[in-house]
Amino acid sequence: MIKIKIKCFSQVRYAMGKDEIIMDIEVGSTTSDLESFIIEKVEGKLDNISLRVAVNQKYVQGSIELKDGDEVAFIPPVQGG
Amino acid sequence: MEDYFLIITPKELKEQLDDFTVIDIRPEDQRLEFPLVGLDSIILNNDLVPEMDGKQVLVCQFGIVTEGMILEKELENAFSLLGGAQAWDKFCREQEDLSRWSRQTVLPEIGIEGQKKILNGKVAIVGMGGLGCPAAQSLLTAGVGHLHLIDGDEVSLSNLHRQPLYRNNDVHRAKVVVAKEKLAELNPETSIRATDTFLNEDNAEKLLSIVDVIIDGTDNIETRQLIDHISKKKNIPMVHGGLFRFEGQVSILNVNGSPGYSELFPSKLTGGNTCEDAGVLGMLPGIIGNIQALETVKLIVGIEPNLVGKLLIYDGKNHKTEIIQL
Repeated sequence: MIKIKIKCFSQVRYAMGKDEIIMDIEVGSTTSDLESFIIEKVEGKLDNISLRVAVNQKYVQGSIELKDGDEVAFIPPVQGG
Repeated sequence: MEDYFLIITPKELKEQLDDFTVIDIRPEDQRLEFPLVGLDSIILNNDLVPEMDGKQVLVCQFGIVTEGMILEKELENAFSLLGGAQAWDKFCREQEDLSRWSRQTVLPEIGIEGQKKILNGKVAIVGMGGLGCPAAQSLLTAGVGHLHLIDGDEVSLSNLHRQPLYRNNDVHRAKVVVAKEKLAELNPETSIRATDTFLNEDNAEKLLSIVDVIIDGTDNIETRQLIDHISKKKNIPMVHGGLFRFEGQVSILNVNGSPGYSELFPSKLTGGNTCEDAGVLGMLPGIIGNIQALETVKLIVGIEPNLVGKLLIYDGKNHKTEIIQL
């Protein structure tokens, strides 16, 4: 198992009810696995919302394998102005 | 022929203003780019210079067309303004009392040279709502010489808690008109253009073509994508801002090929809520709009580091910031 931190922003923060989540995940888990976990967990609250993913404060394209100690941020667009 | 070829410099014109009638021969788009601040001018809609007593100064954008006109038509008592409206604009800004900005010119990162860049800066603000109001106010007080405010919306009562340029009496008035009035009181020397229409595919390129920076103060993804398109096409930086409840985002996009909004969020993105749907506390747009203004001034002066290629996320509940590399 590896330990990672999820950072939640805007709608993700409200859907999860938390700013940050520290959790143990299987070795070999990816950012896509984590995104699926979150989408499932919030039961429809993030439907139709596009999320961008950053690992250790850097945007990632597609899905990448996570390492122990990684910080994974889920960032939706924000519309208000 | 030389008898008809008379030139006057901006300095000479300023000194002898009472002796001249100023005739502006430029089309509207050029007049908007460099308004003749401090000159009462007659606008000429055709090539026929009216016959009048006394001396006239003809003004074009760069002083070339009017020189040719005087020569070609052999106009007597007509002078061409050397360097045209652009030179007049530069001259006026150099005459401004820089002590107004002494608290920022003393900053080693700005100085007199930086302040002159700010005074010559041209910024378009798309959306004069929660982000646009504080951004416009801060840019104007910092000395930005040209502001172009673009918004087709009217002031409503529910705007007042977060859009400090507007008052109760302004409800139902055009936002850009009210904003221009309020901002002009803060500094009448600033050239403020108010365009009372929403940005759309038909007008975007024309409205955003003559500025150094575009501030995104809109409240929807579609307009952000449109600004991004023009910003990329014209290589004009876009300073993006967005809000969700206690959270705000700022990023500088499209600087010499740096990531744009379409890279920040993919083109077919969905989601996000407007302030109307999600709610917002009035201070948050004040903070985010001011960060946009700060980054704009840094861009104009050339101060680094900045938010080019980065996304800043500000969390007003915990007062945490996160900077993501794009």
